[in-house]
Amino acid sequence: MRLIARYAVERQEGLEVVTRYDEKSESVMLDRQNPCVDTIATFHPSAIWFERKMHDDFGIKIEGAFDNRPLVHHERFPKGVHPMRKEFTQTALDFADFTSYKFEAVGGDGVFEVAVGPIHAGIIEPGHFHFSQAGEDMLHQEVRHFYKYRGIEKMVEGMTLDEAKPVIERISGNESVAYQIAWQQIAAQAAGAEMPLPLRRYHAFLLELERFIHHWTDLGFIPNDAGFGAALAYASRIAEEGRRMMAALTGHRFGFGAVKWEKPRIETQGVAAWLERMANEAVWFKEWIMDIPSLWDRFDTTGRLRHEKAVKYDCVGVVARACGVPVDVRLNPFYIEHGFKMQTQAYGDVGARFKVRLAEVENSIAMMRNFLEEEAAALTPGEAEDGRYEAFVESSLGELYMTVELKGGKIERFFARDPGFVNWQALHLMMPGNIIADFPLINKSCDLSYAGNDL
Amino acid sequence: MLRFWQKRALTGVVTEHREFEDEIAQIRSVLKDEVKKRFAGSLAIRMVDSGSCNACEAECNALSNPFYDLERLGIRFVASPRHADVMLLSGVMTFNMFHHVMDAWEQIPEPKWCITLGDCSVMQAPFTKSFAIKGPVGEHLPVAWHIPGCPPSPEVIMRGLLDFLRSFEQK
Ligand code: SF4
Repeated sequence: MRLIARYAVERQEGLEVVTRYDEKSESVMLDRQNPCVDTIATFHPSAIWFERKMHDDFGIKIEGAFDNRPLVHHERFPKGVHPMRKEFTQTALDFADFTSYKFEAVGGDGVFEVAVGPIHAGIIEPGHFHFSQAGEDMLHQEVRHFYKYRGIEKMVEGMTLDEAKPVIERISGNESVAYQIAWQQIAAQAAGAEMPLPLRRYHAFLLELERFIHHWTDLGFIPNDAGFGAALAYASRIAEEGRRMMAALTGHRFGFGAVKWEKPRIETQGVAAWLERMANEAVWFKEWIMDIPSLWDRFDTTGRLRHEKAVKYDCVGVVARACGVPVDVRLNPFYIEHGFKMQTQAYGDVGARFKVRLAEVENSIAMMRNFLEEEAAALTPGEAEDGRYEAFVESSLGELYMTVELKGGKIERFFARDPGFVNWQALHLMMPGNIIADFPLINKSCDLSYAGNDL
Repeated sequence: MLRFWQKRALTGVVTEHREFEDEIAQIRSVLKDEVKKRFAGSLAIRMVDSGSCNACEAECNALSNPFYDLERLGIRFVASPRHADVMLLSGVMTFNMFHHVMDAWEQIPEPKWCITLGDCSVMQAPFTKSFAIKGPVGEHLPVAWHIPGCPPSPEVIMRGLLDFLRSFEQK
């Protein structure tokens, strides 16, 4: 059983802890005054962050936890403040005294620690990586994030789904279309509306275009981190073309606001010709890049994640598929009919992740061709019914899970689990046996979101 | 490799907006002394993300793709605040980033300028002020220039940076 999410919801009766697995959902009710729940991290290591977050958000004590450090509340966050509790309504907080954070580190003769971040050297989101080193060799590495913690789950409470949409689509710029589709799946369920096929196809097209752009960005950055700048020049040109196509279709380079209840009429010929050209570019790029031995010397065997570990850590997305774990939300009749093919590799190293991306780009182009449709379409969803709804979308980073509870037409609880939230927790498994100079390569080959993670 | 050079020749130069180059040449001649004195001939930018959705960064990264190729204008992104003239700040100012942003700002040698990038930094994106957000940036730092947009496109960013340089003309 794969763990998808673990989160809490405040109710009249107390605090409910929901554990969502792929096959079932479990729920326990806790006493509001003294909330306490058993850890499941012994079986699902990826539960650790969910549980630490629950503690920060709601003040729930995790029984048997072996990691009790705060997660989203950093050094100066006031103690005893649990902002997801309904009684907490402040919109500003003062800084508390500094309480230092204890990093995981390996000790021993000649072992030293390297701290990187939160502000990194390039144009990149903030986060912290903490290494235990023996010379060049990485012994251990801990990820520390949540510098971008914006309080979005609380921010959207009390809003209608429509009011929350502009916020939700800005959770992560790389996955905006994916977040919007998740939002729409939930809104459609709440309104009891069946999405017409042309609308589903159009949004699926945009989602593949988003993946196309994101994958090309990585296909350039990964070789660039190995010192091969020509690939970046090539791939960033293609990514830019993808952005421009997104802007031509939706009016926005990242597709903000693109997922609506209507689909515009599209002049398909131009788009089809562009796809044709992109398909050729992809083939050319693959043949070129596969043929550069010095590059593969850096990629192969670097940053390996073993199959069993990927399963154990409930990994998703490219990270999982590169170790032969076939998880992909698109594995369903709708997508298969439109040409979806599961792309996996076995070895789980940087090279495998790179190859999965190469194959997925080609598959996305093939699917985009099939999703193309000229006709306009529209749907008028009815009133939203109260209840709990959930959505799964395969974003460019992997499976995105979102759940919303509506009460009186307003959001009572919003919870989203970015694919990064589980994958980040597995990153350290890829480090031992590699040198620190390979870290950027390993990290980039996973390309996880900070913003999506740091809700 | 031969195939690569073939492809390279066929693709040619895709850089657009050559007028930016003329414009910077003009700005340079007008501001020659000023740019030389203040910016040592080129503008060095330290980008800091204080809580963005990453689209603002993606557009800054796009500035170096072959279509825009920002560096040809003598505007560079640098790795350390100590090498920078300007801090380019994107995203909402989060509670958790606040002190780190201030630290980075301290590290930039005088004279220095803070340019905010994108609607988040001035609290005009749809995010409302929450316990986790210490916005707008202007309440905490002396903002010299703002580049609006959600996100501003690479062209808008280039234009914004040139306009910032231009603003010295009047002084
Ligand atoms: S301004 Fe818009 S694009 Fe930029 S970080 Fe904010 S939400 Fe993202």
